[in-house]
Amino acid sequence: MSLSDFAIADTCFLIDWSYWSHRNVLFKLFRAVFVPEVVLREVKSERAVEWIAAMLASGQLALYTETSDVVGLATRIVERSRLVPGLRGVDLPEAICLAVGKLRGYVVLTENRGAIMAVDFLEELSGVVIWRALEVVKEAIRRGSITGDPRQVFKLYEEETKHRFSRAELEAVINELEGKAGEVEEAGGGGEGD
Amino acid sequence: MVSLEERLEKWRRLEEEAREIRRREADWKFIEGLPPKLRAALKYYVEVGDMYVASRIAGLTVEEFNELRKRAGIPNVS
Amino acid sequence: MSLKERLEKWRRLEEEAREIRRREADWKFIEGLPPRQRAALKYYVETGDIRTSAKLAGLDLEDFRELMRKANVPVVT
Repeated sequence: MSLSDFAIADTCFLIDWSYWSHRNVLFKLFRAVFVPEVVLREVKSERAVEWIAAMLASGQLALYTETSDVVGLATRIVERSRLVPGLRGVDLPEAICLAVGKLRGYVVLTENRGAIMAVDFLEELSGVVIWRALEVVKEAIRRGSITGDPRQVFKLYEEETKHRFSRAELEAVINELEGKAGEVEEAGGGGEGD
Repeated sequence: MVSLEERLEKWRRLEEEAREIRRREADWKFIEGLPPKLRAALKYYVEVGDMYVASRIAGLTVEEFNELRKRAGIPNVS
Repeated sequence: MSLKERLEKWRRLEEEAREIRRREADWKFIEGLPPRQRAALKYYVETGDIRTSAKLAGLDLEDFRELMRKANVPVVT
């Protein structure tokens, strides 16, 4: 699977991610990460705002101004998410990110359960790629942008952000990475730290 | 015909000069005393000179941010 | 995967997440909070719906997330 050069991040992702000591590894995976204006409005803590402003200044984050086609699709997503029984409703800021993911092909960075479920259930979101911190950290380890024992890396993320990964999914990711690490060792490869 | 590299270099120098002026003239005591969003937005503006994005960081309209910029002593360099 | 199977998959994930939130929460801290914040955190522990919880608490999203940190209530995904 080829990865988009760009990603778009929602509030839930950014406010937890900003707590992590390896947060800038995100920019080794994407050319730019977009932040919708509606998301930027919700961020106000010193830690998150200062980091976001500094990364906007360096060009690693970029502001995304919502256009009418994006808002239109986002509104439909919000409505449709409330029609499927058992599906958690999606709110507008997350729906904006999903709409951009669909219309522009950006990877959507979110921790919002409603958004994650919506991609699984709604036909209009087929093909949208969602990454949580789990997938971002996994990819950073896989590429060698973060080195060290994967278990310890994920544990550090949980400790610093007060975020918890689903145990089953974390185990599956770690098993996959450890299998991959075995291949790299055989080939004599290595990675550089962040 | 000026090459792409030469044009980029020309703009890089102009941007750097503008940034230096904004840094030098800013009232840093005033800026550091502000709440996080306004402080971050002004620091962003000093570095980049993009008033629209700075206003979004601050949660202000462009006009409101422009007034804040003046109070912070930061010139609009063009 | 059928709709039913997908819903079941998500139901299991939601249940796991709820168990983690219940187990890790600092209930002493939560019970000591004013009524709105207490009710909002309890709602969040049960549902994982951060936006509605924030509104219940009368807080914006980031302030509610900080309250969750103080209460040791994690986001689980």
